[in-house]
Amino acid sequence: MLGLTWLRGMMRRSGRLGATALGVAIAVALLASIGTFLAGSQATMTKRAVQAVAVDWQVGVQPGGDANTVLDAVRARTVSALPVGFAQTSGLQATTGGSTQTTGPGFVLGLPDGYRNAFPTTIRDLAGTGNGVLVAQQTAANLHIAPGDTITIGRTGLAAVRVRVNGVVDLPQADSLFQKIGAPAGAQPQSPPDNVLLVPARAWHAMFDPLFAVRPDLVSTQIHARLSHALAHDPSSAFTQVSGAARNLEVSLAGGGLVGDNLAAALDAARSDALYAQVLFLFLGLPGAVLAGLLTTAVAASGANRRRHEQALLRTRGATARTLVRIAVLEATVVGGVGALAGLVAATMVGRAAFGSASFGATTENALEFSVGAALIGLTIAALAITLPAWRDARSITVVGARHVVGRTPAPRWLRVGLDLLLLAVSGLVFWLTSRSGYKLVLAPEGTPSISVNYWALAGPALLWAGAGLLAWRVAYMLLGTPAGIARLLARPFSGRLAGTVGATMRRQRRLLASALALVALITAFAASTSVFNSTYKAQADVDARLTNGGDVTVTEAPGVTVGPAAARDIASVPGVHAVEPLQHRFAYVGADLQDLYGVRTATIVDATKLQNTYFQGGTARELMRKLGAQPNGILLSAETVKDFQLNSGDQVRLRLRDVRSTRLIEVPFRYVGVAKEFPTAPRDSFLVANADYVAQRTSSDAVGAFLVDTSGSSPRAVADRLRSRFGTSAAIADITSARKTVGTSLTAVDLAGLTRVELGFALVLAAAATGLVLALGFAERRRMFAIALALGAKPRQLGGFVWSDAAFVTAGGLLAGALVGLSLALMLVKVLTGVFDPPPAVLSVPWAYLTTVAAVAIAAVVIAGTTTIRRARTAPVAVLREL
Amino acid sequence: MTDHDTNAALVRCDAVARTYGSGRTAVVALHGATCEIWPGEHIALMGASGSGKSTLMHLLAGLEEPTAGTITWPALGDRTSLRPGPIALVLQGPSLLAPLDVVENVALPLVLDGIDEVRAQERARGALARLELTELHDKLPEELSGGQMQRVAIARALVQQPRLLLADEPTGQLDHHTAAHVIDVLLEAASESDAALVVSTHDPAVAERLNQLWPVADGRLTVNARSSACSA
Repeated sequence: MLGLTWLRGMMRRSGRLGATALGVAIAVALLASIGTFLAGSQATMTKRAVQAVAVDWQVGVQPGGDANTVLDAVRARTVSALPVGFAQTSGLQATTGGSTQTTGPGFVLGLPDGYRNAFPTTIRDLAGTGNGVLVAQQTAANLHIAPGDTITIGRTGLAAVRVRVNGVVDLPQADSLFQKIGAPAGAQPQSPPDNVLLVPARAWHAMFDPLFAVRPDLVSTQIHARLSHALAHDPSSAFTQVSGAARNLEVSLAGGGLVGDNLAAALDAARSDALYAQVLFLFLGLPGAVLAGLLTTAVAASGANRRRHEQALLRTRGATARTLVRIAVLEATVVGGVGALAGLVAATMVGRAAFGSASFGATTENALEFSVGAALIGLTIAALAITLPAWRDARSITVVGARHVVGRTPAPRWLRVGLDLLLLAVSGLVFWLTSRSGYKLVLAPEGTPSISVNYWALAGPALLWAGAGLLAWRVAYMLLGTPAGIARLLARPFSGRLAGTVGATMRRQRRLLASALALVALITAFAASTSVFNSTYKAQADVDARLTNGGDVTVTEAPGVTVGPAAARDIASVPGVHAVEPLQHRFAYVGADLQDLYGVRTATIVDATKLQNTYFQGGTARELMRKLGAQPNGILLSAETVKDFQLNSGDQVRLRLRDVRSTRLIEVPFRYVGVAKEFPTAPRDSFLVANADYVAQRTSSDAVGAFLVDTSGSSPRAVADRLRSRFGTSAAIADITSARKTVGTSLTAVDLAGLTRVELGFALVLAAAATGLVLALGFAERRRMFAIALALGAKPRQLGGFVWSDAAFVTAGGLLAGALVGLSLALMLVKVLTGVFDPPPAVLSVPWAYLTTVAAVAIAAVVIAGTTTIRRARTAPVAVLREL
Repeated sequence: MTDHDTNAALVRCDAVARTYGSGRTAVVALHGATCEIWPGEHIALMGASGSGKSTLMHLLAGLEEPTAGTITWPALGDRTSLRPGPIALVLQGPSLLAPLDVVENVALPLVLDGIDEVRAQERARGALARLELTELHDKLPEELSGGQMQRVAIARALVQQPRLLLADEPTGQLDHHTAAHVIDVLLEAASESDAALVVSTHDPAVAERLNQLWPVADGRLTVNARSSACSA
């Protein structure tokens, strides 16, 4: 009965209760929307990992095994399976333009009918019909052949055979196609074979069945299979499912076949990324929920005095402590329930707006799980914010004590024991220990199905955040508590001659003000660190895409087409093209290794492809290019090459390049000037960078491999389409927008734009709520004080002195402390989460516009809260005096 | 000479009424009251709780505007210059600012009036001494009893040396002895500066101490035999 009466009373104070419910709603909405989004992301990761695999299983028929038996066993477990012949050739030879080229050993694959339909992404046509005998791009380059030419295939111990080439192809997944099945990762070939020929199965059998008879070690059969892709949404479960099926097949084959499990390998990488996503959820979602909880507590606490008075009144009328707690539980249930419901509705709306309804949660069950979990957390927050203080007060506060509103309470115990400093010290220690292990956040021991997150590493940023928040509290509390009149000084700009009095009110309410300042600081730190992290993440995803694609749009000449740098003018004439940078591409022998050589124009390449400093060692991108430009025969090598050949700066390096005029390999001297770790369009392992003019002069050709196009604001995709319609099939044209979706890990491939929008949107709401709402409610709680001051004759300007001094201290102090903490947090997070960046960022990317918006929103909220407070105090002081 | 006449009435009410709310929920707190208050007058507004005493006090202090009739302060100036300054008001119930100590609370009207803080606090200490509250100087309101708080509020009114001192139930929370002392102090302070004193009370003993009695009942100010200046 008392509860119902209390509830009716609560309805009359709907403002404060609504604000408390709002805090709960923010926490619930944040957790529900981020949680369901990341669950959806995990499903996307699984889907993308599966899509990226050309051949799910490559089952190698083992010596002594029967190919048909293996094929039947594989077919029984898969959607489709086809046998592919692998034969080693002693070499390939072609005669074109009066010269003969010969390659080293290579592979000839026999593809059955329907192979390209069953595994469409294994082979990509570059030139020719796409049927019949197909030659890999690099092989075609080595042999100087084009469709229609004839090549000779060497067979060890047998006579060579001649075939006519029908097309040139690219093998995008050559690494896995030519894997050593059954060998551990470390024992796999470093690079795929240079010379590869694909021929129809019937022709292949005609060529290599005789070889199998004499040299069975040079001929083998693989069964290529595609599995059902109805897998678990979670990459980890999908990995277990697929790898378990592979092991089951191997056992059933009893040694007759080994499975090269490409699908499990892709899912293995995705499950690491899924754990990173989980970590991102922890660091993006939990602090937001904690802040919403703190905000709820602050809102509830701003009415604590009134509640204590009411409790005291109830106590005088015989209410027991248990009754008071029951009332508080009822209040918390109503507030928590309303807040949770509002939060879930908001989460649904946010999900639809930011992610699209399709990706809002992987499944209905999944969305339900997160919704129920978030709602329970919301109810817990309400219980902690309302019931806990009420229970504490009911147990310990006397009727007289309930009158206390400011008091001379000593500094909190955590401050006296230095908890803030302790947390910061432990944070530093954890960070140091994490950095010693190379920031390994996701632990995936090779060869074991188990995978785990080193959550301990996250303790560094978490403790920094908490410790810095408490430190901000301490500094604010001590500043206001100093007898030297710092509070007076702080108040002077807003209260003039009233500064002493206003300073005194600030000093006596320093716990309240310090709490508000710390809350603003924590929210600002959250907004700053999240936005800096997101911005850096996005910038690095762009860098990664640019590293792969080269420019906004890249025009790569088709095999056999020779174009000089003058063609840049044609490209530049296409609308939307701002600048064109020609990039030479050759192959050069470094000892016995064939490596990619890039000829660059050092004066323009840095800006043309936005070369990052992290691509180079021993200097910035600009410095290295300047160094290269100053030495006409200079060359940048990979660190691996420098180490392998024991080179020192200035050493001469002699490479073998093909002279275009004579078509012979010639020796060209270069001088080693620096190390390049990455380079746009270059493979990740070994490559070389030299001056384009020197390469052109020594190879008798200025042929350009690719043109890097800068669209400077125009849509790369639109410009790429225009270039395609202009140049047709004579060149391959790729744009960075498409590259962004295909490069990198499945984590970076997940578009975090929606998540970022939600995250940053919530941070803005929290910033507005922490400043505006908390101050407004705090001021509302002090409206009797303002009414008394007005009754005593305070002018609105003087009232403003009280309001604006508090507001300025909390807002400016909170924003400043938050910015400092946020920057430190972002630095630490980028280090700790270094695994999600590829390549690692050289500098943090600071989203000034967003941070300015956060500050502006916070200040605007304060101004609104302050002016509303002053206006309301002026209009009805007597009503307030009568009411209270 | 300013725009107000120092030889005129401090306050002049002409058929002043105050209604709260509107329509069917409207409550008339004060029906047309007409009165004048002159320097040196000591007036007791006497009536039961809810009779309209506080409303009249707020109107006299310029805290509220009447919904009908006019109220002017011929000897004090316009509404904006009344507080802090010529009018001091002791509010009913707790009226100290919680974050300020006793001296700061008492000095507050002076500081609001632009007086230097140090001087204001000196004067505040003097006012507190007059009410025998010296030992409470550095106490916070929450550390005081109800009676102590009321006396500090009175000290805060006296420190302004007002020309019109309005005290709304100043002895409501005091024992008889202390109440008598408070009334003594109020009368003495008012007499010293020839200020007018208006005390609202429901205690006949308190009303008896003042030289005029203005009864208030159901929002109507009625003329008492001792009063010749007001009528309803």
